[in-house]
Amino acid sequence: MFDLFQNLALGFSIAAQPANIGFCLLGALVGTLVGVLPGIGTVATVAMLLPITFGLAPVGALIMLAGIYYGAQYGGSTTSILVNIPGEATSVVTCLDGHQMARQGRAGAALATAAIASFVAGCFATVLVAALGEPLTKIALWFGPSEYFSLMVLGLIFAVVLAHGSVLKAIAMILAGLLLSMIGSDIETGAGRMTFDFAELSDGIGFANVAMGVFGFAEIIRNLEVSKESRDIVQAKIKGLMPTRQDLKDSAGAIARGTVIGSILGILPGGGAVVSSFAAYTVEKRFSKHPERFGKGAIEGVAAPEAANNAAAQTSFIPLLTLGIPPNAVMALMVGAMTIHGIVPGPQVMTKQPELFWGMIASMWLGNLMLVVINLPLVGVWVSLLRVPYRLLFPSIIVFCCIGIYSINNSASDVLIAAAFGLFGYWLVKHDFEPAPLVLAFVLGPLMEENLRRAMLIARGDPSVFVTRPISAGLLFVAAVMLALAMLPLIRKRRDEVFVE
Amino acid sequence: MARRRQAGRSAVLLKIRAPRDFWGGLALIALAAIAYWATRDLGGMQGVAFGPGTAPRIFAGLLAVIGVVVAVTGLLTDGPDIEGFALRGPAYVLAAIVAFAVMMQGMLFVPPFGLVASSFLAFMISIAGSREMRWVESLIAAAAMTLFCVVLFSWILKLPFPLWPSFI
Repeated sequence: MFDLFQNLALGFSIAAQPANIGFCLLGALVGTLVGVLPGIGTVATVAMLLPITFGLAPVGALIMLAGIYYGAQYGGSTTSILVNIPGEATSVVTCLDGHQMARQGRAGAALATAAIASFVAGCFATVLVAALGEPLTKIALWFGPSEYFSLMVLGLIFAVVLAHGSVLKAIAMILAGLLLSMIGSDIETGAGRMTFDFAELSDGIGFANVAMGVFGFAEIIRNLEVSKESRDIVQAKIKGLMPTRQDLKDSAGAIARGTVIGSILGILPGGGAVVSSFAAYTVEKRFSKHPERFGKGAIEGVAAPEAANNAAAQTSFIPLLTLGIPPNAVMALMVGAMTIHGIVPGPQVMTKQPELFWGMIASMWLGNLMLVVINLPLVGVWVSLLRVPYRLLFPSIIVFCCIGIYSINNSASDVLIAAAFGLFGYWLVKHDFEPAPLVLAFVLGPLMEENLRRAMLIARGDPSVFVTRPISAGLLFVAAVMLALAMLPLIRKRRDEVFVE
Repeated sequence: MARRRQAGRSAVLLKIRAPRDFWGGLALIALAAIAYWATRDLGGMQGVAFGPGTAPRIFAGLLAVIGVVVAVTGLLTDGPDIEGFALRGPAYVLAAIVAFAVMMQGMLFVPPFGLVASSFLAFMISIAGSREMRWVESLIAAAAMTLFCVVLFSWILKLPFPLWPSFI
């Protein structure tokens, strides 16, 4: 326990350096901005800003990128409540009750509840990351190649189970992602694989190109289809930012439950902020004494999902920092950011670079504090940004993305590859394929193949090693159960219902 | 809707009942086949060790199996039609990105134009893809965005981009 405080003290001494406070604030501001603006996702933003972090110190770069991720969770709720359009996928359910509250003249209370819920959840999740970091790092020491492989299988299966739509199609996306990740030189023999004799492909496809294509460009193409958006901003002046005593009493339980649900789903690979907000809302509605109030401005319907998405955004750093496995697409980009600075994510980060590990955790708490200030008193500033029409926004995003991709390698072919993935992503959406599992598999692919090959070599070509080693067998068993459950018709129906709601 | 479509194509031997699944599945099979073909020259298992081609072929095989199942599902169960593909949006977005790439690096017969001209033109092409484009507003916005990018990328971040065309 004493160690924990000592470590946190070290973390705060790093995070409180003026430069790092600056990066934290910058990340929180950019995060809020993309959170507020509909049509710009977190993944695309982090991918866009990746090249910008080249010149920064690693701690500062990671603090800023992390700030963007959890900052977007705060900002997303503002648009949901005031405009009834989710600013971020994680705030979809917040629209239901949040906008109703705004219509009833309680926009201030809704915004404040969302911010308070996010803050409470953020504080709890920060402590959780700090507390779980060390024990999990120790567990990682027992992991051999077969355990790592099985863990990644489990992560990908989670991504399948939590994706909406057909389970089979999600698995197909995983396999396609794995195949795409194998383009380029083989790690062991150096043989060029599936390069079709293009020199541009000999180093493989850059992750940023894929992410920017399927999340950035494809999203824009999709948004352009919708002819004209109607933004029905609640015009009345927002007053009474402080929630009443009754509001706080009503939402306290929901915040606590949302935080717990979000923390758990965030840690699981493949989970993440989107699913946890849906789950928290469903739980609140099901266990409420007055489920009929939901959808008509129930304050719990704002508090629970907002607590859950922020908690999940933060606990998703746990598998990344302790095991080196990114549980979702944003964390996958963080792997990219760490690799740029020569840091290999995994258990050794904590022992070899404690100032990075603890500095980042401490900055999360500071960032949450800043976000409450950024979001509540300054809410008017963000709302006025919503008046910038999309027709001016999307060309800016395109230009910014192009320059971002180009700057990574000074290569025009990277830009063209991203454009191709944009069209591919558009095609995927039209055929009900979800791009998120593909991107996750694309990132995990090289790690997975390396561990698979090592495990097989150690076991002298005997594949039973994955089920005879206990930890590996346990992980695979959980994966199999999850997959079986997802395929069962009854649960599948319930799962679809949750997404429809 | 689905019923009417089926009646119209009753002559077809097997009806495509869920086109999104059917065509999606076929595309997966094609993807797997391309991947399998592309790994034809790569070594397979060498004793107990994986060769460079082993893992891609395993995954391509699995993908083909799932592709078949998805396509067959498309024949056996009902599903929604494929939404029409828009042409305008993708065409302009694509044109803007390609224009940026070509002008920035200089390709084919195009000399390198530098960051200013590339960003400005990419902005103007993409904004033309929107149906609500207004000329004056667009030109001002494009100029502002170009200025912002020059300040951010060239001045603040000091990325070594040429700003102006190389041939002037």
